[in-house]
Amino acid sequence: MNQYAGISLFDDLLAEPLNRLAEQAMGEGRVPVGYTCSYVPETLLSAGKLFPVRLRAPGIAGTEMADTYMSNVICSYTKSLLEFAIGGAYDRLGGVVFTANCDHMRRLMDNLEYLRKPAFSHTLDVPHKRGGPALDWFTEELKMLADKMSAHFGVSAAGDDLAAAIRSRNAFAEALRAIGDLRKLDPPLITGGEFHRVMIASLVSPKDLLMPLVEDFRRRAVERGGVGPYRARIMVAGGELDDLSFIDVIESQGGLVVADRFCTGSLPGLEPVPESGDPLRAIAQHTLYKVLCPRMMEEFDEREEAIRQTALEYRADGVIIQAIKFCDTWGVEGSTLTAALRSAGIPVLRLEREYRHGGEGQLRTRVQAFIESMGK
Amino acid sequence: MNNRPTVIDYLIHAKYFVQILLSFTMLALRRGPVSLLRDMRRYPWLFTLLRAPLLMGRLAAGRAGLYREANELLISFIVRRMVGLLVRALERGDTFILHQEMVPPEISTAMGLSVWPAELLSILLPLLDSHAAEEYIDCSENEGIPPDICSHVKMTLGIVLSGQMPPSSVIVSSNLPCDGNMTGYEITRRWNNASIYRLDIPFNFYDDRAAEYFAGELRRMIAWLEENTPGRMDWERLKQICEERNRMAEIEIELWEMISARPAPMAAEPVYLGHLWSFNADPGRPEATRFFRRIADMTRRNLEAGVRAVPNERFRAVLWNPPLLHFSELFRWAEEAYGITLVIDSMTYNSQPLIDTATPDTMLRDLGKIIMQGPMARHTRGPAENYIDDIFRIYHRFDLDMVWVAGHIGCKNTMALNQMLREACREKGVPLLIIEYDLSDQRICSHEGIIRQIDHFMQNVMKVGRNGKEHATREAVASNVTADACASHLEE
Repeated sequence: MNQYAGISLFDDLLAEPLNRLAEQAMGEGRVPVGYTCSYVPETLLSAGKLFPVRLRAPGIAGTEMADTYMSNVICSYTKSLLEFAIGGAYDRLGGVVFTANCDHMRRLMDNLEYLRKPAFSHTLDVPHKRGGPALDWFTEELKMLADKMSAHFGVSAAGDDLAAAIRSRNAFAEALRAIGDLRKLDPPLITGGEFHRVMIASLVSPKDLLMPLVEDFRRRAVERGGVGPYRARIMVAGGELDDLSFIDVIESQGGLVVADRFCTGSLPGLEPVPESGDPLRAIAQHTLYKVLCPRMMEEFDEREEAIRQTALEYRADGVIIQAIKFCDTWGVEGSTLTAALRSAGIPVLRLEREYRHGGEGQLRTRVQAFIESMGK
Repeated sequence: MNNRPTVIDYLIHAKYFVQILLSFTMLALRRGPVSLLRDMRRYPWLFTLLRAPLLMGRLAAGRAGLYREANELLISFIVRRMVGLLVRALERGDTFILHQEMVPPEISTAMGLSVWPAELLSILLPLLDSHAAEEYIDCSENEGIPPDICSHVKMTLGIVLSGQMPPSSVIVSSNLPCDGNMTGYEITRRWNNASIYRLDIPFNFYDDRAAEYFAGELRRMIAWLEENTPGRMDWERLKQICEERNRMAEIEIELWEMISARPAPMAAEPVYLGHLWSFNADPGRPEATRFFRRIADMTRRNLEAGVRAVPNERFRAVLWNPPLLHFSELFRWAEEAYGITLVIDSMTYNSQPLIDTATPDTMLRDLGKIIMQGPMARHTRGPAENYIDDIFRIYHRFDLDMVWVAGHIGCKNTMALNQMLREACREKGVPLLIIEYDLSDQRICSHEGIIRQIDHFMQNVMKVGRNGKEHATREAVASNVTADACASHLEE
């Protein structure tokens, strides 16, 4: 499958933790705020002069220092972030917002605070369930973060300002969704690798500056026509995934990735945040309900159903559940999910991976075998 | 001083042996021969429980006097209480429910429900038989649970997946103590086709807002249990349970005061295993309070008579993290080999022990605080300072000479803090041993491997050999705790 030549523009944006668009924004006096998890609402970090940057460690070669501090049984995403942080890669961020979402994230936060304390840091205590009391709690958590950001950065993250940020966010998300929908067609008009690049770029760039590139990409994709040939339509589910080559390798074996239900993917997080009512509560509700992570205790059935429905909607022939090794939540949920999906007749390939690119040969072999096992 | 058992010691041992046999007989009588045989076929771990006298023998060997008796009392007490739990579990009435280990049992008990702590077998069986966990861990991994998940969690899931957990249609769990445990309850729920209530425990738990939120969770749990079980909340009963628990906690605080003395009049299993059982499986039961009172009385008698628990006490240690389950005689060995007295462990030391029983609200708030601020929650989830500062707090309070961390490879929460702890210990001159092992599975690190780590630490950091061979004076040891010494141990 050939990728659109202009996609290299997105590749360029993903080569460094702070890309040229972020640099441009910083040159205009804007402040990047890092975050580590989908439960940190980007909208809140878009208040005033702030813009959100999801922390990545592109091109990381090893995690020797982080291994010393976090041990060799911790997920390599968090260790890669710590390694980059120790090396000063995030020093130019205005601050970092963490979540106490999983054991690994919490210990990343502890070690980062110990080794290289960010200029501004805050930890969101995200409840492990939904419902009224949990929503109240999370709304208060967001209020505390908004107040702290207002005091530290001198921005307004409330009322009309926040409502405006929600409208901007929704407009940008709608543009991305329109591109993502091109994958539903047969043949799809874009590859999974292309869309993954667009998505990750959207998480690390000021959205207003990225918008022209996104619109241009969509226009050219429609003009180009369908991609192909491919052997099977694949849905990728699971945890954090910003390794661009992962989906490329799957697609190199003929598995066109048509749906991305992982935490840096588009499904279902791009759905609009309600624009009426209390903006903070709307953001809290959207976050609790639209991020489908197994760290939430009560929604297994919903997560399973979301995968089944998405597979149906995007006509996926099979599902790849990928998680970074040592991730406890996806590790345990993966076994239950795999059994449940298989019993529903959906072919599943379960993969453990490292954060940084590696094991390409093994990945190719397993994807080949998976596609063949589906008779494709 | 010697610790050679006397004739009286042997007679006392026989008394407790008979008590254990009586407990087993009680189980047989309550179940009847046919039901019991059926139970033993369905739950093969019942055979492992029959090894309790052997565990008592292992803990008693090489110990004498009241310290020895306290160990024997402990095992016979646990067996008696376990039999009570088993009878209720095997009968499986409609009041039988499954609890995760971080859910306060006081509330369900006050509602008239029979609580089976789901992780109980994963604690007891490895203590009784070093290899007991292996078949369940293997079962779990064969079902797709990743090998790197905590073996305590895998063992519990293995018991469930092999059909050996007493089934329940009602489960209460929580998001503590770790992600693996939390997520695993979906498997337990599906296997049992059960209804489940999951308690959400905040991360930032030190303020009134968190206390209120979690007390609200407990209230919602009560309402849910009333909807899903025949249990009904009896606040007066809860008050009695909390008051009884307070009495036990007060006795434990007295016990802590006494074991702060150097040399310690009581140590190791009666302190940490006594707490582990009584406060987790039996809180608010008069039997547990009586057990604690007897342990405290024995301790007082030793203290007043100037009798040391460990006759050759030379070093005092704290154990951080859950005890090494499959190596139950480790501390007895350490006493003999190096004169190390295990004074207390992190699981025992709860800084929020008492409950205000004035109103239902105060009881729920304080029960919530006990869970939120309890050792497992504080150390595995809370910020790093909870883990590290508590160590130094206990180190000074109990006049200790060294810190042992049970570096369970499956506990990612604490593994990711160990380097910070090493650096803090070096800075403060606190000798630190991190034992690299697995909590339940000795195939990861054998007993010999654990002993080698301890030998290496004692010889290189503490500068002593086994059986009192001096490598340096105690004063020299304190000044010799260097980064290099610690590092050389850890690198091995």
